[in-house]
Amino acid sequence: MINFRDDVLPLKNRLYRLALRIIPNTGEAEDIVQETMIKVWNHRGELSTPSSAEAYSITICRNMALDALARKESSNVSLDESPYDTLDTSETPFQTLTREDSRKWVHKLFQQLPEKQRTIMQLRDIEGKPYKEIAQELQISEEQVKVTLFRARQRIRQQFEKIDRYGL
Amino acid sequence: MDYKYIMQLLQRYWNCETTVSEERILRDFFQQEEIPESLRKYASLFRYEEEEQKVSLGDDFDERMLSRINETTVKARRNTIHYRLRPFYKAAAVVAIVFTLGMAAQHSFSTDDAPQQASYNYATYKDTYTDPQVAYEQVSSALKTVGSGLREAGLEANDSTSQTDANVNTEE
Repeated sequence: MINFRDDVLPLKNRLYRLALRIIPNTGEAEDIVQETMIKVWNHRGELSTPSSAEAYSITICRNMALDALARKESSNVSLDESPYDTLDTSETPFQTLTREDSRKWVHKLFQQLPEKQRTIMQLRDIEGKPYKEIAQELQISEEQVKVTLFRARQRIRQQFEKIDRYGL
Repeated sequence: MDYKYIMQLLQRYWNCETTVSEERILRDFFQQEEIPESLRKYASLFRYEEEEQKVSLGDDFDERMLSRINETTVKARRNTIHYRLRPFYKAAAVVAIVFTLGMAAQHSFSTDDAPQQASYNYATYKDTYTDPQVAYEQVSSALKTVGSGLREAGLEANDSTSQTDANVNTEE
């Protein structure tokens, strides 16, 4: 039996971070987490274990975030206007960037990844989840998770090599 | 510090060959201030990954969420009680309809009897005619009609009984 306070509510931060990775707006991400939890709670009869509740929550949360994103895009709100794009480091050598600026730069790197790569980076590198769980949550094979993660890390690595050679 | 191990881990990280715990070692390593020149550029990546784990919702979210859940649970419970009682509602509706029809039928049948029953109560009598002569004629004509009707009915009844008697006789 799933208990809301013990099994669903503690997922809030993980769900929030995932939603935020897809929709870079804190208010909207929070709404998505709320709707996700309501939906999970309404389907609690089909969830036998707390771990299945987590996998189900992640799946629902991602789908809801993607839906919200699609609605936003269809209403012509440009996502290019995200605050992270205003970072101008063109004349600053990377080594002398402040910790905060380099954090912003990495964030931008993450956000520029295609959604699937970004979500897998989130679940693996930030949440520290095993491939098997990610595969379950995204409803794809473990092999696909690995291939997508590989592409994402290679892309990030290339950006790091680039700034190393040419600066930002 | 053995940086060779870290460099090796990093290489395996790029190739997606590291385990979850090895990746944790990398994140932990890059948290420290003293990082060799060759590895320093990657610090921002692992520091970012570590910091992003701290992004979280406040306690006010829990309160809002719990009150919403209580709301929907109460609503859902109400719905299910409603839903479960549905067959009974149907049965009750059928009973109500049958009962109403029965009452209506009984009422329409009993309206013929009602005045007769009430006719014993002389206090409820109301005059229909002012002229006693007219009243007498109406009553006698009505009684004649009833009388002839009764006579005809009696004859028919006698006929049918004699007929059945005849049938019984032939069968024997």
